[in-house]
Amino acid sequence: MTPREATTGAAMRLSRVTGDRRHRRRLVELGFVPGADVSVIARGVNGGLILALGDARVAVDAGTAATLLVEPSHD
Amino acid sequence: MTDVRPAKTLLAKSCCDEHTGTVDERAPRVALAGNPNVGKSTLFNTLTGARQSVGNWPGKTVSVARGTWRASGGDVTLIDLPGTYSLLPGSPDEALTRDVLVDHGMDGRPDAVVIAVDAANLARNLYLLAQVMETGVPLVVALTMVDVARARGVRVDADRLSALVGAPVVPMVPRRGEGLDALDRAVAEALANPRPPAVPPLGDHVEPALAALAAELPAASTARFPARWLSIALITGEPVPGVPDGTAALARDLGAALVDGDDLGDPEVLVAEQRYAWVHKVIADVVTRRGDTRTTWSDRVDRVLTSRWSGAPIFLAVMWGVFVLTTKAAAPLTAALQALIDGPVAGAAGGALTAIGAGAPVRGLVVDGIIAGVGQLLGFVPLMAIMFVLLAVLEDSGYLARAAFVVDRLMRLIGLPGRAFLPLIVGFGCNVPAVAGTRILADRRHRLLTGLLVPFVTCSARLTVYVLVASVFFGDAAGTVVFAMYVLSIALVIGIGLLLRRTLFRGMAGEPLVLDLPPYRLPTLRLIGTQTWVKLRAFLRTAGGVIVATVTLVWLLSSIPVGQGTFGDTPVEHSVYGVAARTAAPAFAPAGFGDWHNSAALLTGFVAKEAVVSTTAQTYSMSESAGDGELAPALRATFDRTSGGHPLPAVLAFLVFLLAYTPCMATVAAQWAEMGGRLTLFGIGMQLTVAWLLAVAVFQLGSLFW
Repeated sequence: MTPREATTGAAMRLSRVTGDRRHRRRLVELGFVPGADVSVIARGVNGGLILALGDARVAVDAGTAATLLVEPSHD
Repeated sequence: MTDVRPAKTLLAKSCCDEHTGTVDERAPRVALAGNPNVGKSTLFNTLTGARQSVGNWPGKTVSVARGTWRASGGDVTLIDLPGTYSLLPGSPDEALTRDVLVDHGMDGRPDAVVIAVDAANLARNLYLLAQVMETGVPLVVALTMVDVARARGVRVDADRLSALVGAPVVPMVPRRGEGLDALDRAVAEALANPRPPAVPPLGDHVEPALAALAAELPAASTARFPARWLSIALITGEPVPGVPDGTAALARDLGAALVDGDDLGDPEVLVAEQRYAWVHKVIADVVTRRGDTRTTWSDRVDRVLTSRWSGAPIFLAVMWGVFVLTTKAAAPLTAALQALIDGPVAGAAGGALTAIGAGAPVRGLVVDGIIAGVGQLLGFVPLMAIMFVLLAVLEDSGYLARAAFVVDRLMRLIGLPGRAFLPLIVGFGCNVPAVAGTRILADRRHRLLTGLLVPFVTCSARLTVYVLVASVFFGDAAGTVVFAMYVLSIALVIGIGLLLRRTLFRGMAGEPLVLDLPPYRLPTLRLIGTQTWVKLRAFLRTAGGVIVATVTLVWLLSSIPVGQGTFGDTPVEHSVYGVAARTAAPAFAPAGFGDWHNSAALLTGFVAKEAVVSTTAQTYSMSESAGDGELAPALRATFDRTSGGHPLPAVLAFLVFLLAYTPCMATVAAQWAEMGGRLTLFGIGMQLTVAWLLAVAVFQLGSLFW
């Protein structure tokens, strides 16, 4: 699933980033690497999300959120 | 994703080289690097105070701030490199930071690097640190935001981190001046005994490929670039100047072999993941957490400020606040300053000149020309100061990044990131601080596009003219006409924005939003003070000359008689200014207002829209206070005559022209300072073209119906 379907506040783990090369490179550099801890902090208009990525907080638009694949984290 | 780098740009981006005097070329050079929003600029300001200058890096279009740090071991030249998340260049700013660190062929390279690392957001910061370590440059790590981290229950073991990085780590809180002495000692030591930091390993998979490539690197390349950095760059497919094609091809093959069999495989992404693997290992080793550090109070604030229900109303309220402060609050200060200049100062100067026997022309030049120009300039100072303070507060508090998220979708319509909203909103008050406000945009192209659009935002000075003209001609419908001007203004911003994006700014792709949100913080007074002063000084320096020169020029032109009268004592109609207006008048005939009274008013409007009403009155040889009683019939008669019996479309065309053409010379001066002469002139040409075409269209179409 993508973070858009996730419950707000639920702990998740990033499994994969899709999209074109430039897009993936940017996201990876910001710390969106497989295994990273992700959770949804807040939901804005038009499907935009504020994500917690470890200690960082990153705002993404709906399109970017759809390129992130996450799974529930159990720790 | 060009707007991932929020702060930093505030600190005066000027077009011009201003390296004057403040920097000693013989002092050792230390570069400040780091992610955006980690306290890097705060550190820079704290260390250098006002001893700083902003200018282009030699031969580059990127401007950097340089300053003198009075360190205990002697003066050090600090170079504030643009904030970046990565040394893989995605923008000219990032490319500069990369080149400064890796290219030994570059002039002005630093002797050591201080890298600011945010203790409250270690992962991303250590990622950049890993890349800087790969360059082998002598390092000092300034561990910033330790107070924020502590408040969240995060403790970073600086000694252990130092051992892993192979460079000193200094915990500090730059905003409060904590840790400055320790940094001073660490930098002095790094300059006296430079040694390379440790090298972050990239894992069993990548390292053998790097080793294989290292053996093949030509000596000329490793003399210019650090070998480790060069191997990684080549394997990830980055072009490096001066590397033989054969070596580059070998590197590409090695890189491709690393990701063989993965459909989304990319050596660049693989290397980035390996760096993060190192980062997470380091974090596991140096960080201890207490209590639940997952949800902070900052997150709870975010739920309110960015929610789909309250986000937009709060945003609009904040923007309204900015608008009110830049218009209403500045007005009395502006009026007081101008009254001081026009009254006591002009009076004293006039008296003094008379006393030393200066003639009327000299008195006129000094009092009505130069002193009036300085008065105009000073009138902008409170406005600009308030604007700069607000920018600093919004940026430093962390709200600006949230606001950008809230309006992102809307601004994307014209291809600009969300934060471009702020300068455009401010433009409704005054275009001058709005142009300066484009500095909040990290990407140069976004700044330029916004700077070109700002003049189409109708400012409050234009409102005074709308109100006068509309009330003379439209009676009860005047309000509707004025409102229509605001609607047209917004339509122009969107329309011209779309047009420019398809032409001049075609390459500027609609990047998806990925925006780093800094934690909310209380801005400090000292920081805001320094930032405001540095920017205000830059404004006065660049815009001052243009404004004073223009006002003086207009006085001169309207004082030189043509045919009758004497210098300094001639009716406007018979001055060079009047003749120029008469010459320009026929150009407006197709728009229905080709009369010298109108073109004189528009010429004045080029200097300042505030002066349009008084000039109009002057050209009819009336004082400004003559009021509607006398001015209205005169205006009506003029428009009746020039429009061939269709005065209303002609008046509308006049108002439309007034809306769309160059707002005032102060805006031009501000644009010149922000985006350089060429684009400023292009902007003026565009405004005049758009204004003329629209005015002609309005009159020609309108006169079919009225």
